Amino acid sequence: MTSYLKLAKILIEIGILWFVYYVILIFARGTRGVYVLRGIILITLFFVITKQVGFERINWIFTKIFALSILAFLIIFQQEIRRGLANIGQRRWSRFFLKESEIINEITTACFLLSMRKIGALIAIERETRLENYIESGIEIDARVNSELLMTIFMPNTPLHDGGIIVAGERIAASGCFFPLTQNPKVSTTLGTRHRAALGLSEETDAIVVVVSEETGGVSIAIGGRLTHDLNRESLERVLGNLYRPDKKNGK
Amino acid sequence: MIMNSWFLNNFWIKIISLILAVITWFYVNEELIKEKQMTKQLYKSSVINQIQNPSHDKKPVK
Repeated sequence: MTSYLKLAKILIEIGILWFVYYVILIFARGTRGVYVLRGIILITLFFVITKQVGFERINWIFTKIFALSILAFLIIFQQEIRRGLANIGQRRWSRFFLKESEIINEITTACFLLSMRKIGALIAIERETRLENYIESGIEIDARVNSELLMTIFMPNTPLHDGGIIVAGERIAASGCFFPLTQNPKVSTTLGTRHRAALGLSEETDAIVVVVSEETGGVSIAIGGRLTHDLNRESLERVLGNLYRPDKKNGK
Repeated sequence: MIMNSWFLNNFWIKIISLILAVITWFYVNEELIKEKQMTKQLYKSSVINQIQNPSHDKKPVK
């Protein structure tokens, strides 16, 4: 009986550690902190290996460097850490009860109305990876997602029409955001900047990026570095509906 | 189906987190065992010392 209790305790402890690591990695994804995290993970692994093998001197050096690097990490990433802690406090639990189909419907309607008028649009939908860095590059809006507002933002010759919109939860977080352009050499040279930005963001984060072409009016979607062209309304709704579900289950 | 998609969503991050969690757990566990052993040894040595030199710990009588 006690051995079962011991095993359960071990599993719970590992489970808690797993959750903490998972949350940190998810939070760091899409921010510059991810590179530092990679470095820390590599140093930690090296530290563990040298300890197991018995390289005492190397291990001593790593212990000292590690202690210093934690301090450096806290100083360099104080802004990110502060934001992360604030996020825990302000977490949008209401998102769990969201009517996502309504949001999908608003986005799809806006995309196809813009497509009919051949007005370019770039809409990123945040999933698990936070897009704070990209939100900061644009102009904060924080408004409910609705098709009229989306269309108004993308109207040519208006101050906000350049760049992309970021939809986070049930809100339009920001517009005029700059997304990274894809560096993939295999991408067709005929693709414009808007499509390249959509691909770039989808490569770096798990966001869903919807693009409306200014030239053809075609609606495309970029997910995980892949671009699907010329979607019709039903298929866009279906894809968005399918991709929203995991986020919902995670209670984000 | 629901379980499956939860499992596959961010699969590699989940695996990396699990590996890190297991490594951390074993490392901390080892350190805790060492610490306990050290405390025990210190306690034992202080007890033996007291037995061998009982007058050593006596406070001077004023």
